[in-house]
Amino acid sequence: MDFFEEYKGYPNYEKAAIHDEAHGKVVRKKLWMVFWIMLVITIAELIIGSQFHFSEINKEYTFIFLTLVKAFFIVWIFMHLGDERRAMKYAIIAPYTLFIFYLAFMAITEGVYSKVIRDALVSMVLHQ
Amino acid sequence: MSNQATLSLRKDWDGGVSPFGVSYGKMFMWFFLVSDALTFSSLLCAYGFMRHKFAGDWAVPNDVFTHFPFLHGDHPLAYVGFMTFDLIMSSVTMVLAVEAGHRLNKRQVAMWLFFTIIGGFIFVGSQCWEWYHFITGEASNQQYREYWMNGKHIIDPHFQGANLIVNAYTQLPTFGDFFFCITGFHGFHVFSGVIINIIMLIMVLNGVMEKRGHYEMIEKAGLYWHFVDLVWVFVFTFFYLL
Repeated sequence: MDFFEEYKGYPNYEKAAIHDEAHGKVVRKKLWMVFWIMLVITIAELIIGSQFHFSEINKEYTFIFLTLVKAFFIVWIFMHLGDERRAMKYAIIAPYTLFIFYLAFMAITEGVYSKVIRDALVSMVLHQ
Repeated sequence: MSNQATLSLRKDWDGGVSPFGVSYGKMFMWFFLVSDALTFSSLLCAYGFMRHKFAGDWAVPNDVFTHFPFLHGDHPLAYVGFMTFDLIMSSVTMVLAVEAGHRLNKRQVAMWLFFTIIGGFIFVGSQCWEWYHFITGEASNQQYREYWMNGKHIIDPHFQGANLIVNAYTQLPTFGDFFFCITGFHGFHVFSGVIINIIMLIMVLNGVMEKRGHYEMIEKAGLYWHFVDLVWVFVFTFFYLL
């Protein structure tokens, strides 16, 4: 009845992750641990964001670092990418990272440069 | 040793098995999520471009998002903090549903899925509330009552809030545009995620997964739901914190 059932010996990947009660307990413990880590990071971000007033560039780097830590936990633990094969991990992470780091670099560099040009034009107009 | 590695590589990619060790459906869920992540990333990169171009004139998020339900006065970031907590919490209940599915425990899958749906609805409702206060704008610290529209300089002492053309938080319409575009696009994803989760819950309760003998469908829906949480983590940082 199923297309894949015609392939005798094709591994049943849908059932690969099925585990028993004892292993489930270990997994659940890890998941709650990750939840507490993410909660602490979020609260730290909120406190830094609303209370502290340190220099703009340090704030940026702190927030982006904490965000990347949270993103890692979501992708690696919650989405179970850490449990996949190495080929799968690279197929998902490598193209995305390569492209987006490049795009972010281009966008930010170009944005900063546009500000320089804009400020120069504005001061030119004002001094005429 | 290298000989052995070649052999195993050949076995993986020779056909008859999945080289990635995952089912067809899950692999394409991942590929869909990568393409969706590229969309969100390019939107956020465009936002970063504008943010750096108009560095001095951009609105300070601490002064814009200060409301909290049933409380008066300024509570910067408190409500977004609650929304983030809600989404992380619903992400955890989703992953617990996936884990219960790995144990083939129908009752627990249904329970955790139900909690996830509740969390999703709370988030969508919160976003509506947030938009309402952003659009009507009752914050005390709004300063931009003057703007240019259709080539005319307009001074409106009663102007509050924001729309796609003007907003009272900064002189740049781009601020409102990006906020509506990106949080709206994300909110749409949350909404469709809730719909998908409701369909999953109905399927679980009808015993569809039980008949199949595995709960991989929950895992795929879970991937989408975690992706929504992942995007929110970035939106939260770039819109509300920085």
